[in-house]
Amino acid sequence: MTRRALNSADRGQGPYLWRFTPLQRTLHALVIASFFGLVLTGLPLHFAQAGWARVLVGLTGGVEGAGIIHRLCALITFGYFTTHLVSLARKLRRGGGWKRVLWGPESMVPQPRDFRDLVQMFRWFLGRGPRPRFDRFSYMEKFDYLAVFWGVAIIGASGLLLWFPEFFARFLPGWVFNVATIVHGDEALLALSFIFTVHFFNVHLRPGKFPIDLVIFTGRATAGYMREEHPLEYERRLAAGELDQLVAPPVSRTAYLWSTVLGFASLGLGIIIIGLVLWAVLH
Amino acid sequence: MTLGSQCRAGAVLISLIGSAVGSAETQAAPVVNCDNCHGNREFVTGVRAPGDTSLFVPSPTLAETAHERLACSDCHRGFDAGFPHQAASKVSPCQACHESEGREWQASIHAPTSAATGDAPNCVGCHGSHLVYRISDRRSPTYSLNVAALCGRCHADPRIIGTYFTAVDKAQARTAVAQYYETVHGHALTGAGLTVSATCNDCHRSHRVLPADSAESSVNRNNIPATCGRCHVGIVEIYAQSAHGAALATGRRNATGHAAPVCVDCHSAHGIVRADEPRWFLGVVDECGTCHERLYETYFETYHGKVNRLGSTLAATCSDCHTPHDMRPATDPASSVFPASRVKTCGGCHPAANANFVRYEPHGDPQDRARYPTLYWTWLFMTILLGGVMAFFGIHTVLWLGRLTLDRAREKRAARSAGRPGQA
Repeated sequence: MTRRALNSADRGQGPYLWRFTPLQRTLHALVIASFFGLVLTGLPLHFAQAGWARVLVGLTGGVEGAGIIHRLCALITFGYFTTHLVSLARKLRRGGGWKRVLWGPESMVPQPRDFRDLVQMFRWFLGRGPRPRFDRFSYMEKFDYLAVFWGVAIIGASGLLLWFPEFFARFLPGWVFNVATIVHGDEALLALSFIFTVHFFNVHLRPGKFPIDLVIFTGRATAGYMREEHPLEYERRLAAGELDQLVAPPVSRTAYLWSTVLGFASLGLGIIIIGLVLWAVLH
Repeated sequence: MTLGSQCRAGAVLISLIGSAVGSAETQAAPVVNCDNCHGNREFVTGVRAPGDTSLFVPSPTLAETAHERLACSDCHRGFDAGFPHQAASKVSPCQACHESEGREWQASIHAPTSAATGDAPNCVGCHGSHLVYRISDRRSPTYSLNVAALCGRCHADPRIIGTYFTAVDKAQARTAVAQYYETVHGHALTGAGLTVSATCNDCHRSHRVLPADSAESSVNRNNIPATCGRCHVGIVEIYAQSAHGAALATGRRNATGHAAPVCVDCHSAHGIVRADEPRWFLGVVDECGTCHERLYETYFETYHGKVNRLGSTLAATCSDCHTPHDMRPATDPASSVFPASRVKTCGGCHPAANANFVRYEPHGDPQDRARYPTLYWTWLFMTILLGGVMAFFGIHTVLWLGRLTLDRAREKRAARSAGRPGQA
């Protein structure tokens, strides 16, 4: 690292390289916005006995208002989920694309090397080997992605059951709503606990990344950053002569400002929410 | 303290005039005209003590009172026999006419204290001495709108409460009258002028006032349904047939050792609020929960309970499913939660509820493996998933942080030792 920038994607030498497409960045922004909306309106219900629950539900328009916000954010969630599935289907259809989507360094599917990386990572933690070198997606990023995939499916399905109980009772017994209540709440609790601690640490807060990594907002990171975080991808593209096509202009001041504000606001809000959860659990 | 009871004859020189003039209605016309002396303020002031005007009772005093047709001597017996008044003359006890009221008062908790210390009211303490207006007269302290203030003269007095109430009762006694004004009964009376609304004596009785621990008391637990039922016609019949009413009749206690609730256990005695007010709706769960502990806890695990906890009346509370007064065990075919009745009961809020829908468990308890195995295994799976993922990545995170911290410290040390020769 040569530059001490606030945004860790600005650190390191070399030109900026594209890492995420505008669609990916937009979808992630929608994930953030809808997830906060869902958490802030769902958490008071899950921890209704906590002292802050009534305050938070009051700030979100009471039980009725919070319910409306929760359902609107659910619609956004279904929207980005569908959009992503469509974009995935398009990639699959494109000539031979399914191979790249389902296997190999560009794929989100866990592969043997991810498990080897995981083991290697623990060896490195314990001082028994070098740090594993990641390709385009590390096993942590794959876990994040698949967790959202699983989470949206599970929380979304159970949420729909609870949204339209009278409809689903036409062909399902009533106790599935008891099951859905447990699954919906606990899976959501897992999602927010994971994202606001592990994801935040892995991506933003660990030494070297602290205090923030804006690559998911700006879409670009320096070549130095790529050599450090995703060396195999960098070397692969270098060998294939693809790097030139990936060179990106530096981010505009306005986009940088917005990314910084949104990034820090999200980090702060997430950490506050973890505080609320700990308060509720420990009381 | 009153003219009648205290008046001592023979202390004053008096001229007896118009001994034949008296109340036309009374058979025994007084021999003396009381007004000649007692209608003269200057004349009777200070007879008993300097400045004491209590003997001044001008003749129209009884007009418009319940006793307007009585002559002085109807109560002040023998005082009309001539002058000076006979020492043996006494005020006739009110019981002489008001026989049953007197008997009831004699049996009340007020009677012995009244006799011993004068701190509890006798007849005149509440009704007044000369100005005994009819209870339908707004001027009477016993008029329904005035009763709470009347009782409050003693029952809001810290000295009386401190002296005569047991430690257990004191807290309630201190606030009872003030609280009453905030209740639905108090509001109806003082706010809406509904004179039929209950005030102190409607529940505690007018004359035979007894503490709640007395079996005879109208506010004794066993008698409360009958007492409330005097106004709330119909409710008591429903209650009597409910699980609560049946348990009260047999004296049966529930598994947690609680006796059957009576009206005041859910509605409270002096804090009664309207059952359509949010604070009632939200508070009633706590009342039911004092006995039904596990059902209380499991209710709050459901959407209904959580919404209630958040202060909203959007979702069902106990009485919405179990009815307010006709709660019966789910095994009773007449119960609102009997399986065959549930479509109708749930349909109150969920119009499209069907036989599938009502298989929802409104008190489903994931900890109760025997009764709700599906919920138990779901809960266990989710808990292990949550705990497992967070534990694994917790360790991952801590180790990563440790590795980076160690590496950075090592780099710094290396940089320092490398830089030392240059600095030196």
